[in-house]
This record gives sequence, C-alpha cells and structure tokens, in this order.
Amino acid sequence: MVTLSTEVLVIGGGATGAGVAWDAALRGYDVMLVDRRDLAEGTSGRFHGLLHSGGRYAVKDPRAAKECIGENRILRHVAADCIEDTGGLFVTTQWDDPAYADRFAQGCADTGVDCEEISTADALAAEPRLNRQITRAFEVPDGNIDVWKTVWAMGHGIQQRGGRVLPYHAVTAIHRESDAVTGARVRDARTGDELDIHARVTVNATGAWAGQIADMAGIEGVRVLPGRGIMIAMNHRLVNTVVNRCQMPTDGDIIVPIRTVSVIGTTDQHTDDPDDHTVNQSEVDAMLDDGEKLVPGFRGARALRVWTGVRPLFEDAKASDTDTRDVTRAHALLDHSERDGVGRFFTITGGKLTTFRLMAEETMDSVVKHLGETRPCTTSTEPLPGSEAGENYRLGERLRRKEASLIDEQMICECELVPRHKLEEAMTRTASTNLDDIRRQLRLGMGPCQGGFCNYRATGILHGHDGLSADQANQSLLDFMQERWKGVWPVLYGDQLRQVRLDDWIFQGVLDVEHLGQ
Amino acid sequence: MRRSELHFDAVVIGAGTAGLVAGTRLAQGGARVCVLAKGIGSTHLAPATIDVLGYAPDRVDAPGPALEQLIAARPDHPYALIGAEVVGDALSWFAQIVPSGPMPGYVYGGSLEHNQLLPTAVGALRPSALVPETMANGEASRLQRVCIVGTPALRDFHPSLCAANLERAGIEARAVSLDLKLERADMNTLGLARHFDDEKWRRQFCAELSLALRSDEAVGLPAMLGLRDPHEVLADVEHRLGRRVFEIPTLPPSVPGMRLYEILRSALRAAGGRLVLGAEVTSSEREGDRIVSVSTHAAGRDLIYVAPWFVLASGGFASGGIELDSHWVTHERVLGLPLRGVPAEGEPRFAGRYLDEQPMARVGVAVDSDLRAEGAENVLVAGAALPGAIPWREGSGEGIALASGYRAAQVAAAQLSPTAAIA
Repeated sequence: MVTLSTEVLVIGGGATGAGVAWDAALRGYDVMLVDRRDLAEGTSGRFHGLLHSGGRYAVKDPRAAKECIGENRILRHVAADCIEDTGGLFVTTQWDDPAYADRFAQGCADTGVDCEEISTADALAAEPRLNRQITRAFEVPDGNIDVWKTVWAMGHGIQQRGGRVLPYHAVTAIHRESDAVTGARVRDARTGDELDIHARVTVNATGAWAGQIADMAGIEGVRVLPGRGIMIAMNHRLVNTVVNRCQMPTDGDIIVPIRTVSVIGTTDQHTDDPDDHTVNQSEVDAMLDDGEKLVPGFRGARALRVWTGVRPLFEDAKASDTDTRDVTRAHALLDHSERDGVGRFFTITGGKLTTFRLMAEETMDSVVKHLGETRPCTTSTEPLPGSEAGENYRLGERLRRKEASLIDEQMICECELVPRHKLEEAMTRTASTNLDDIRRQLRLGMGPCQGGFCNYRATGILHGHDGLSADQANQSLLDFMQERWKGVWPVLYGDQLRQVRLDDWIFQGVLDVEHLGQ
Repeated sequence: MRRSELHFDAVVIGAGTAGLVAGTRLAQGGARVCVLAKGIGSTHLAPATIDVLGYAPDRVDAPGPALEQLIAARPDHPYALIGAEVVGDALSWFAQIVPSGPMPGYVYGGSLEHNQLLPTAVGALRPSALVPETMANGEASRLQRVCIVGTPALRDFHPSLCAANLERAGIEARAVSLDLKLERADMNTLGLARHFDDEKWRRQFCAELSLALRSDEAVGLPAMLGLRDPHEVLADVEHRLGRRVFEIPTLPPSVPGMRLYEILRSALRAAGGRLVLGAEVTSSEREGDRIVSVSTHAAGRDLIYVAPWFVLASGGFASGGIELDSHWVTHERVLGLPLRGVPAEGEPRFAGRYLDEQPMARVGVAVDSDLRAEGAENVLVAGAALPGAIPWREGSGEGIALASGYRAAQVAAAQLSPTAAIA
C-alpha cells in the first residue's frame, strides 16, 4: 500500500473543507484535501447559490447576520470572479406580517447589514415580474456565488502551492495512536486502490457526514442533524435581483437569479440519512405555489430541475425532531483534544456557505495554536486564483466571449455557451471521464435541454480526447443521461416535458443508446 | 377584424408525416383537403427511416410477423386499431409516391419481411423497415469494412465513437476526421448538405477524402448528401470514391427528414391538397358530438375552416399537441379531446431510471377502433397523438404515423359522399 505524508489532512471537499485546506496552504502548510466524491458535490453544490447579505438572519439570528455581512464584503473581493453582484430585495407581500418590515429594518441596522428602503414603484421598475401587491421593499447586498467555481479555484490554489487535492478518495479508516489521530486510510473510488495518509493534524470538514467520520475516530456524540431542503431551477432569470419575502425565514421564500436560471428555495425536512435525496411531490407543489406569490406566472415558466441539499445542523439541546430550521445555523468547531482527549483532530461543521471562509479561518487558528505555532490567516486578503482582477462575474460574460469569436469557435453546449476548447481543457485538467464532474466546472448540460444535445457531443469529444474504450464512452453518456434525468423527472411538466420528449427521440430514437453494443 | 369562412371536405391539423399522408390520401381520393399546421412537424428532427417495429421489446428481425404478435398482445396499440394489412398497404403506397416526388430517382427500399440494421451516430445498430437509398449501404449485414468519416466542424457527429461501437458489434470499422475548409467552426448537416448539392464542392470533398481511404472499405458519412437531388449526389460520390457510401442520421436538424417532408408536401400539392403553415388552430366550434369548424389566427385575420371531417395529427407531448400542466393535469390542446393512458392521480407519472418505461409515455387522444376521437365522431386521430405506443422505444414512430394517416383517410373517404365533395 502506498503511504503519503502531509501536515494537514482535510477530509471533505465542500466549501468548508476546501476553505480549510486553502487557508492552511496560505499559512504555508503542506496540505492534502480528500473527498469521497468530486469537490463540492455534496451540500455545497446543492444549494441555491445565494451569497447572503445577512438580511435573512437580521431578526432571528443577529450573530449569523453579522457573520454573513462581514463575509459577504470579504468574498466580493477575494472570490470576485465567482460572485455576481445582483443585489437583493426584501419585499412584504400580502401573505407576510406587515409588522415584520420594521423589525427587519431595525435588525439590519443593529447587525450592520446595509439596508435601504425603496419605494415599491422603484422595486417594481427594477423587477417588473414581481408581485405588484408588495407594500414594502428593502435593498440589501445579496448576490450569487458559483460554488463549484469557488471551490475549484481554492483547489487550484492549493495545488499551485504544492498541496494535493484528491477527489474520489473516500476515507475508510481514521488512524489513531493512543490519544491522537495520525491520519487516515482512503480508497480511490475509481481504481479501488487504498492508500495511507499520515498527517500532523486531521480536520474533519464533512458537514452532514461529520458524525460518521468522528465515529471512525472512535469519538462519540458528534451529532449532526441533516436538514433536507429542495430547490427548483426555473429556466431564465425571472428576476435579476435576489428576491426574499420580508418575513421570518420559512419555506420557498427566496428566488436567486444565478447564471442562466432562477432558483427558488427551500424547504426544511429532518432526515436521518444525509444521502437521502428524496423529493416529495407535496414539496414541489408548495414550492411552485410559493413562487407564484413572489412572481405571478411562476408556474408558467419552465421548471428545469429540482435537487435537494442537506444542511449540516449541529445538534444542541433545544433541537426538535421535526423542524431543523430552529436548530442553530451557527457553525461548530470541535477541538477533540479538549472535548475528547484525542489530539491532532478537529471537526468543523454546521454554518452556511456564505461563512465558509470564516469557519476555515477559525479552524486553522485552532490548529495553529494546537501545534504551538504562529502563522496568521491571509484568506481575507489573498484573492482566489482567477479573482486577482477583483472584478465580479457579469451575466453576459460568456455571450460576450462567444460574440467575439462567433465563427471560429464551436459551441458544444448552446444553452450554457460552453465552447469546445473549454470542454477539452476541463477534460485534460480533471482527467475525469465523468461528464457530471465536468458539468460542475463548466455548467455543461445545465440549461433547458438538460444535456439533450451536448451529451452526445461531449461523449464524442471525450472518446477522441482520452482514447477511452467504446464501453467507457458509452457508460459516460448513459451516466450523464441518468444524472440529468434524476433532477428533471420530479418536476417535469409543460414545455420541459416537450423538451424531454425531444431528448427521448434523440437518445432512444436517433441514437438508440439503449441498444448500444447489442 | 375580418372573419372568413372556408369550406373543405376534410381539414387535417398537423403537418408531420401522419397529417401529410392523411391529407394526400384524402386529396388523391378526390376530397377537397386543407392541412393546417402551427409549424413543420417532427420530420425535420427524425432520421426519416420508416421504422415499423424495431423492438418488442427485443430486437425485431421480421416486422411483419412481429406486428401480428404485437396486435394480439396489445389491443390498445395503434397498430391493433389500424390492422397489419393497412400497415402493409400504407408502406407500399409510400414506396410508390417517393420516386414521383421532387427528388428524381430517390427511392426507399425494404419490406415488412425483415428489418434493416443501420448504424446510428453513436454506432448502435437501429432496425428499420423502409430506408432511403442513401442509407441502404449501411445495412449491417452488407458492412464488412467501413470507414466512418466526419469533420471537426460537425459537432453532431463523432466518427471515432461511431466506429468504436461498430467494432464492438463485429464490424471492421475505423474513423477519419477530415479537416474541410469550411466557412465557420460550427456547421450542422444542413449547411453541409447545401455544399453537397454543389457539384464542384463535392468533387473537392471526394478528392480530399480519397487520400484517406483504404482500398476495400465502404464509407459512412453523416446524413448530408444533399437536399435537392440526393440520388444524384449519392451516385456521384460513390462514383468518385469508387466504393459504396451511406448516410448515418445525426442529431437534429435531419437532412433526410427534410427530404421526407418535401416528398410528402409535394405529394399533397400534386393531389390538389392545400397546406397552410403558421396556422395554429386557436378555437373550434362544436355541435353535439361533432366538430363543425376550427379557427386559425394568422396573417392578422381569423379564418374559419368548416368541414364534415377533421383529422387530428397534431402530435403528442413533443409537439405540444398534448400538455401536462404544472398542476399535473393533461390536456389535448387543439380540440380539448379526452385522453387515454394518463396515470391515475397519485400514481407515478415518471420512473426514476431514465431507460425504464415511463408511465406517461403511452398517453394519447382516446379513440375507438376506427381512430375516431371519443366524444367527437367526425374527428379521426393519427400519428403521435394516438395513445398506446412508445414510438421512440419501439422504433415505430414513422410506421404508426404513415399507417394511421393512411387509415384515417380511408375512414373519412369512405363516408364522404360525392355530393359533399362537390358542394
């Protein structure tokens, strides 16, 4: 068995884990980041894409609100290229308690969340599809963040500093020597090979799965209550500003415009299994109804797909079994030498995407202290690779690039404007034959046809590019088709069903993929 | 707003294969026919082979006998309503009208006796009953050694993947990607077909390709051998390359599908039928169990089409003829006719595995054994609007379209009195 050594081993390649590894790499440590699947394939990649202003927590959770606005300001600079500055609106509809608006404004003032009340006429002029019955409107600095781009930017930054990023390496054992954790054994999910990693410090940043990893280390009582929420992506930007209902946070009260779509979220259902991705029909129906409240005619738009994510909510004594939204959203950092007498092992869980950098900073501060060293955090000033120019992403960016090279560049995914050379670069970079991994980096197949056209094209290019066998290429095509279908069918109606029928004709009629190799 | 009434013996709604065949057959029988369509049908998306029955669910070698078995096993299937004999008649009729169409010499070959296995763009072998001559040489049993040829600008065709899968199927295949000097980095088969219509361009293409070919291999090309005169283009390319050549269908748009549309449209016109595109039916008028007229709104005015017979060939979910709304209710959108095959409330509409049978797949307009719509006795239903089939899985789409269009015309023509035709 191969044995590797590193200073800081981070388990979990979501935003938090990648953030910890990035933070450690910037502090000069040799780091290794492992994930059982692809980076940002779990909770991080399964949210609505909202970069919080903090407004959502201004009344209910002032500490979270303060953290959010602080991180919002930092990330706009250090992760500039991953963020679109859409701005946000909190609007009072006829279904919202009118008294909440004043509490909201006060809460924002108290927590430092920039908030300005504007006339409803101005709000409606900016967002003409918005419910015309709104009575109050507040502007806040919400935005959207492309989490895959963010996490991969950190991944590349880690690699540039000599660190190692190992997606598809699942932890099979945590190594313990008497009163300390000394590393982990991981299995390469693609080859089945196992390898041992020795580490000075091991950080468990596995979110909703943190209890499972802690168990492997023989540590009891790390309980994370997975709160499952669904999100639905609607075709097009129904709004160009993040729109929130001005009320105590509840289901289906946010629409986030991100890239080419608008995402409505979310619900909150307790689940025992963080890998449970069930989508209930009643949740879908409720979400579509909620969409109608903010944007009348919402149901008439195309619902592209639905997905679920699990919030990692660290359990405290007040937790109830049925509604996890009331469990603290704050993150939990556990130094297991203090808590359990097990040294060189830390767990960071809970929290929210917007605060991942802060969570990483606090974690590494503890690690550095534990090691008896002084190495300051620089993640609040050091831009991620790709964000050095400090310019935020603009929606028209891909279109502008395409326009500039209209006749010289081949578009593989027309919905998301993915050109051939970007696809080939990503295939080389990731060395992955999994088109879903490439999707997360390029948004391949994330538009209205959900891979109907680009799947065949990308498979053909993959086959030529990597010298794959026909079997492997066929499997890539079938896997991507199934992966896309997974999120399409629970919310399939209207024009999207028309689209699916066209895809049926392409895959089963024209290509006959079902009978490949017979 | 002006409102005008137009009178016909039969009004056909939909200009896909089913609608055009129904219209042509009625017109050939002497009826005054108008085909109304919101737009062009699915011909432009499909490979344009006439697949009668490809899978049931195993691969079908002999569609004729398999059809008899399907009819016995599934009395709700469109073929059971149409009858095997009519399917055979419709195919013979179609094979006859193709050569008299606008593309001299272009023919379809095949029969119900055995399916021809043709390579798809991914290299699977797809069974079809009737195939255009431009694809015939791709029949698997005739292929010993083949060179699959593409060009980098054509993103909808990847020769190496196609060849690799043909290899797996036991055919000696290799791939060549020919770097043609094209006007842009992105081309589809339509743009290339226009080039193939040009004799000079073809000559250049063949000269370049010849250099890459080995002596005894056939050539498979994406389906792009011209729109105007594919018979001549095929003959010319085969002559210049000195070998057998065949077309492989690609992602939409489909060049052979456009040819099929031109053939059917021209047959309708030749028989005296009218075709109005851009004429979406916006409303209809009923008297009891009969549809009296349908209205369109086009070119700034309403037109009312009055007829004793209507053929509904407006397709299924793919065309928008049938819709599932966001409250999970299905509708037939042209005439508001009742549907069949809709999963009951609370039952699953779709299956989580894409390639499993999808419960919503067999939805169609409820009909009787004469293809008459339930609750509308003078409306006959044809094509993808019919319930009971999963044409993209069965490999039965064009077969059902052709045979049901043919059958609908038969039913209506039998009841159209000569006086009605003159009135």
